[in-house]
Amino acid sequence: MMAPLAFAWRALVRQPARSTLAVLGVAAVGALLLDMLLLSEGLVLSMRELLDRMGFDVRVTAGDTLPGAGPEIADATAASAAIGALPGVRSVTAIRSEAADLHHRDRQADAAFIGVSGTPRVWTILRGRDPAGRGELVLNQYAAETLRLVPGAVVTVRAYCGDDDAAPPPVEFRVAGVAELPFDTPEAASAATFLGDLEEACGTPGAGRADFLAVTSTGDAAAAAAAITAARADLRAFTNDQLIGRVQQGGFTYFRQISTVLATITITFALLLITVLLTVSVNQRLGEIAALRALGFSQRRVVLDVLCEAALIVGTGGALSLPLGLVLAVWLDGILKRMPGIPTEMHFFVLEPQAFVVHGLLLAATALVAAAYPMRIVARLPIAATLRNEVIS
Amino acid sequence: MEAHRRHGAVNRCVFAVAVLLALTAFLPSAQTPEMPTILVTRQLAALEGLAVGDEVRLAADAGGTGAQTFRIAGIYEPTPDPMRLGSVPRAVRMHLPDLLALTRDPAVPAGAEHVDSINITLVDPADAERFSREVTTRAPGVLARPTTQAAGLGTTFVVLERFHTAIAAVTIIAATVFLLALTIMLVDERRETAGVLRLIGLPARRILLQVLVEGVLVASVGALFGLALAWGAEGLINRFFQWRYDTALVFVRITPRVAATCLAIAVPLGATATVGASWALLRRGGLRLARR
Repeated sequence: MMAPLAFAWRALVRQPARSTLAVLGVAAVGALLLDMLLLSEGLVLSMRELLDRMGFDVRVTAGDTLPGAGPEIADATAASAAIGALPGVRSVTAIRSEAADLHHRDRQADAAFIGVSGTPRVWTILRGRDPAGRGELVLNQYAAETLRLVPGAVVTVRAYCGDDDAAPPPVEFRVAGVAELPFDTPEAASAATFLGDLEEACGTPGAGRADFLAVTSTGDAAAAAAAITAARADLRAFTNDQLIGRVQQGGFTYFRQISTVLATITITFALLLITVLLTVSVNQRLGEIAALRALGFSQRRVVLDVLCEAALIVGTGGALSLPLGLVLAVWLDGILKRMPGIPTEMHFFVLEPQAFVVHGLLLAATALVAAAYPMRIVARLPIAATLRNEVIS
Repeated sequence: MEAHRRHGAVNRCVFAVAVLLALTAFLPSAQTPEMPTILVTRQLAALEGLAVGDEVRLAADAGGTGAQTFRIAGIYEPTPDPMRLGSVPRAVRMHLPDLLALTRDPAVPAGAEHVDSINITLVDPADAERFSREVTTRAPGVLARPTTQAAGLGTTFVVLERFHTAIAAVTIIAATVFLLALTIMLVDERRETAGVLRLIGLPARRILLQVLVEGVLVASVGALFGLALAWGAEGLINRFFQWRYDTALVFVRITPRVAATCLAIAVPLGATATVGASWALLRRGGLRLARR
């Protein structure tokens, strides 16, 4: 096997300009292909990672919608207690989000105001500490920077919780810490506190409403979800897998579809061009190949030479496409992440071993298919006639 | 047609999204004192097996509190909304007074309800900016905005356009590299011909001109073929995605501007690659070129 590979290598080195360009072309196409493969599952993988990182494995909503997108759970306190008493449930956290204005001195920021009950906390403290008592909250980094607040400072919160635009009187909170909140979006302020404090700020103490309940199971999320649905038929319980499934059916499919279309076009484009390059290259060397056959090279051997040439071009280009593709992915991810409402921690391009395997397989298949026609030309080459034509011409 | 009676648990969000003041004009039969009428999206009608003339009961909460009966006056195709791609538009459109009557809190007197937004058509659309400023100034707490600005907030599509431009740029780079490799090979194939032409007295510039004309012709034919292919693919891609998402949204549209941009890039690129590859060859002497 080494001899045909070495022979193909020499054939490529003999024509450095065209070989380099062919390899660079494959590298560019391969990078694009890799990015499309990373894009096809990137958002879903990123979403799963975010959901898993929060520590909950079941979400409970009042409607058949994604958490936070549907109607509120009116009796969240009672529902939390009922669900928390189920054997497969370890903890229940009620989560409610409202809009609010945060004021500090002459600075103001529109923010998402999140109230949570119970533990575990849904945020990660960056500076300061968790809210320990009533009237304390945590801010995200953007809110802290915009309002120039540090742990210990006081911020005035005016919450907008009703369907009308009437706002209850503003309430003062002490900043306990600066935290990273899940699903934080760039350049968007958010604050989080206890659910009771949020209700106070809303002017409806003890309302007991929540957007959704986040549940940690004792290990079997599916069984916990089933138990919750059985206990409270008016509520819907989704495991993380089910949520991802619903998300996949929604808007995220756009990127999967577009990446499939672009990957197909990219691979077809690469196939056509490599076929043309190899065919022209073989056609230019017909006399040389016929001479080799006359010297005793077998048909199998010259066919293998062409295959090795294709493998070298695609292999080298494919290897180069990996770093190129990763750089390109960072650039494209930066472009797409400027979409409004995309959480900071979410990525469109996520490294996944399976994508690299598919990338390698697709490039290998491309090399094989692209070499098929020139291999056929070489295999069917009439030795005597080709040599005669070569001499006459 | 046999009438069906159904209980619809429609939440307030659906109403809020579905109702626009302007829709009143589309429901002529609602002016009669008979049963109020609604329009139903094609998708909702298909899902629930609803037809024009059917009677449905709608309520503002899942419990069916205060449900009222409506007659379906028509099935409509919802305006495609790229932001809601993938979600089935289960929506109804109804007269604003009917919606307010259905959703009004008993404590709120009639006429004191709130609406999400009011759409205004001006006599002169050019006045939109001035009118918006005036309304915002005169009515504190009300935000008036020209529709062009509201559409401009759709940064999502600006970002998607940038993304597609970036992908197109990478594709062009890959195509250019391949094109150069191919032209180098093709020019090399004609090395002897070029050598003979040089030997019989044709200057390099004359041969280069011929190559340039050839390059322009080949690039033009190739670009036109590519455009024809894109036009063919346009229909296929749109039909596939419209089927996939059950929407009337147009995903790919080859406009004259897009076609002109493609030609403006492809033809000079092809011609330049041909001339560039030939120039490297023609710098050699005629004898060297003609030598086997």
